[in-house]
Amino acid sequence: MKKTHIVAIILIAVGIGAILSTVSSSGTYSDFSVAAKNKDMDYHVNGKLDKAKDIHYNPEENANLFTFYMIDKKGVERKVLYNGSKPQDFEKSDEIVLVGHCTGKDFMAKTILLKCPSKYSNPNEDMKEFKAKG
Amino acid sequence: MNYPGEHPIFGQLGHLFVALAFAAALLSCICYFASLKGELIGNSWARIGRIAFGIHSFAVAGIVATMFYVIYNHYFEYYYAWYHSSYTLPFRYMFACFWEGQEGSFLLWAVWHVVLSWIIIWKGGEWEAPVVGVIATVQVFLSSMLLGVYVFGYKLGSDPFIYLRNNPEMQNLPFIKMADYLTKIKDGRGLNPLLQNYWMVIHPPTLFLGFASTVVPFAFALGGLIKGKYTEWVKPAIPWAFFGVMILGTGVLMGAAWAYEALSFGGFWAWDPVENASLVPWLTFVGAAHLMLIFKHRQHSIVSTYIFTIVTFLLVLYSTFLTRSGILGSTSVHAFTDLGMSGQLIVYMAFYVLLSAYLLIKNRKKLPKTEVEEEISSREFWMFIGTLVLMISAMQITFTTSIPVFDKLGFYHITNGLGSVVNLFVGIINRLFGADIHLIAKRHNLSPPDDPKAHYNLWQLPIAVILGVLTAISQFFKYKTTDEKEWMKKISLSLLLSVLLSAFISWQLEFNRVNYFILLFTSIFTVIANFDFMVRVLKLKVGLSGASIAHIGFGMILLGILISNSKSTIISQNHSDVNLGKDFPNNENVMLIKGDTVPMKDYYISYKGRHRGTAITDEKNLYYTIEYFKRNPDTKRLDKEFELMPTVQLNQRMGNVSEPSTKRFAMKDIYTHITYADFDDVEDPTSDSIYKKPITKQMKVGDTVALVNSLLILTGIDKEVDKAAMKLNNTDLAAGAILKVIDINKHETVAVPVMVIRGNNLFSIPVTLDSLGLKLDFPKINPENGKADIVITEKRKNEFIIMKAIIFPWINLLWLGALLMILGCLVAIRKRLRTRD
Repeated sequence: MKKTHIVAIILIAVGIGAILSTVSSSGTYSDFSVAAKNKDMDYHVNGKLDKAKDIHYNPEENANLFTFYMIDKKGVERKVLYNGSKPQDFEKSDEIVLVGHCTGKDFMAKTILLKCPSKYSNPNEDMKEFKAKG
Repeated sequence: MNYPGEHPIFGQLGHLFVALAFAAALLSCICYFASLKGELIGNSWARIGRIAFGIHSFAVAGIVATMFYVIYNHYFEYYYAWYHSSYTLPFRYMFACFWEGQEGSFLLWAVWHVVLSWIIIWKGGEWEAPVVGVIATVQVFLSSMLLGVYVFGYKLGSDPFIYLRNNPEMQNLPFIKMADYLTKIKDGRGLNPLLQNYWMVIHPPTLFLGFASTVVPFAFALGGLIKGKYTEWVKPAIPWAFFGVMILGTGVLMGAAWAYEALSFGGFWAWDPVENASLVPWLTFVGAAHLMLIFKHRQHSIVSTYIFTIVTFLLVLYSTFLTRSGILGSTSVHAFTDLGMSGQLIVYMAFYVLLSAYLLIKNRKKLPKTEVEEEISSREFWMFIGTLVLMISAMQITFTTSIPVFDKLGFYHITNGLGSVVNLFVGIINRLFGADIHLIAKRHNLSPPDDPKAHYNLWQLPIAVILGVLTAISQFFKYKTTDEKEWMKKISLSLLLSVLLSAFISWQLEFNRVNYFILLFTSIFTVIANFDFMVRVLKLKVGLSGASIAHIGFGMILLGILISNSKSTIISQNHSDVNLGKDFPNNENVMLIKGDTVPMKDYYISYKGRHRGTAITDEKNLYYTIEYFKRNPDTKRLDKEFELMPTVQLNQRMGNVSEPSTKRFAMKDIYTHITYADFDDVEDPTSDSIYKKPITKQMKVGDTVALVNSLLILTGIDKEVDKAAMKLNNTDLAAGAILKVIDINKHETVAVPVMVIRGNNLFSIPVTLDSLGLKLDFPKINPENGKADIVITEKRKNEFIIMKAIIFPWINLLWLGALLMILGCLVAIRKRLRTRD
């Protein structure tokens, strides 16, 4: 066996490790009730903004806290706390994808992804991403 | 029907050119391949192939010219012109709107293929027929992307010359059905304001030239297999490979610079799928180029050379598929949307996968085998290891980026299956040893990692360390074999210097993590060792030092990435007392009220005010002037250091977009970015008065209106107003609206504005609530529905912005390294071209 082969085998093993780690670190699209069961884990939760409820951002009080209510795909509603400033055009959003975890009653969002319907009649939706950590 | 104002000639011309380009490319590749059967010199098949390729090139130029003419003249009857351009668009963005759409960017790609092919034809020789023949097959596919015809009910390609009135998204709008619909279209939709940026002018052509350049070595490799010249193709392909590495690398880095300068990523690399899609082919391309060098010097590793060269091109196709099929939809911020061409892209990919696999397997016996084994002390051994590491890097990035694809394919069945097997063992272990290991939960779909940065860094940082060390040590090895003692002697100086320097720097920068130190050491080692090689071995002969210069550049890029990322500090800390506990530890945004001066790390900052751009094309931009001061220790006064002007673009289409502004110093950048601003009163001409524009609400008893910081409830109508107290006549008819105002602290106030009818006159007595900044008025009751008109005037709040400021130290090392890498490639290409003649 050549030395190159040995090295190649080691590298292939590392490659498989990389792939397995990708699988294990990949997230899951989920809903609030699943996320509430496992409060240590981060989930991707999609849903809609509850426009009837309070959308609160008061920068004079705290420029890094934005709260709102989201209804997930199964109709469960939760208050969402986001550690950052309010995303521009937030109210216009059609669909929201949150990444974060549940706490007692709330959901702590690390990232907010917004899907905004276009003003024009084309079907493509534009995504915007907001991250709590820079 | 006759539609006045249309210019049908351009559509007809355009369709003719597209059809011609498609047919000529098909003819060209058939003839070129037919020519391979016989002698090439004076071969009439080859000549027809070349002529057909000439016609194809002419047709491609014709499509570009027609499309450009249509866009330039704003012929909005053509959907592409309407969708991507507008009257107000400055001329310099005409090109940008040309390649904003998918069709235009495919065309740009095809243009580069044509240009590169003519260089090959001009160089002439035996490689013309196989190489241009393979490229012509790619051109067949690319032209088919523009056909827009239906074949057995399947739409082939997307027609860039489709009429606005025929576009499926538009054709059902009522006005489109009228003959004079064009008079109703005042202006085009225009180039997305987000992309109205000089990067949009220079980045796509560079990146697409990079993509296009991967086809040349690929075509040489396939040409070699087809012609039966299994190894001869490598030598002429080497300059092309380094050319491609240089251009594609430049394209990737331009994307990073764009992200850093103009987009609000807060950095230059976000591991976004679109960024990854261009980085991955570059990694394998670098591997392929190095394998070609190994083969040229040692006639080793031809199979790997084939695989890397082919995979690079396939990865370009794959990234095209990822970014254009819409599959990344919810994971990427800036992928193209689906034009219904994903099926075609899959066929395109499958064709080249199968063709390359077939040719490789068919000829596998004829590929030269390496008889002797590489010495560990040989340069080729370490270069080979390096290429494998590059492949792992590419695989890991591809794998994670492809999660949406795996999800679509139902990949979670496999992961769930694997998970159950693992769970079985975990269960046994738990049972036997009384352990309490968590079982893997079943999942129904996969999403990208929750923290992509951490995920990629976990793999890519160690890989960067290995690659750095390899680029540092490899050149000191000679091809074939090296005297180990001599090697040790040569490398030890750089090693010693690097240890000392990195220890010094990490002490200076207060690095406290081992992994930072390791990466710091490797990047410095890469720079020093390659510089040392240039000085002591190459005697500073620049013409020979291409590799060393490029590797120094690589080291500096690593160094720049490491320091600017690990030592970046967010200086816009919030100083308020609000603390949200460990869940929300980082307060990165700070509020600035207009006119206030706030301390921020070494600076004092002040928000001076905002203004709109003045030019018609600039009107959409709001410029915020942020002044940075420093306290002069002698005079104790604040001296202005500099001024930054982050922008918010009021973008109707994509939502408002904020663009950072960065002050560049030699040693650091100060990046300033508006994260939130209030635009309610931007359009209001009275914006200097203390009150906002009044709002009138029709309310019936029991109705509630939500205001900025309070709730307003109409609890009743008071018909027995105390007239005397309000100095009204006894004959007046008066009614008061009883309004309950609840503020944020649930504190309630009652206000009663009064409506008075005196004879034929109607007037009112408003109430002002100073503590809430509210003025309430009750001018009338609507006779038709009995609802009260309540006029609410809110006091304007002090204008403020929320901003974020980050210091990126030493980031210029990254850009300097990028320049050196490009320069190194240029030197290497020049050397290869010289030695060839």
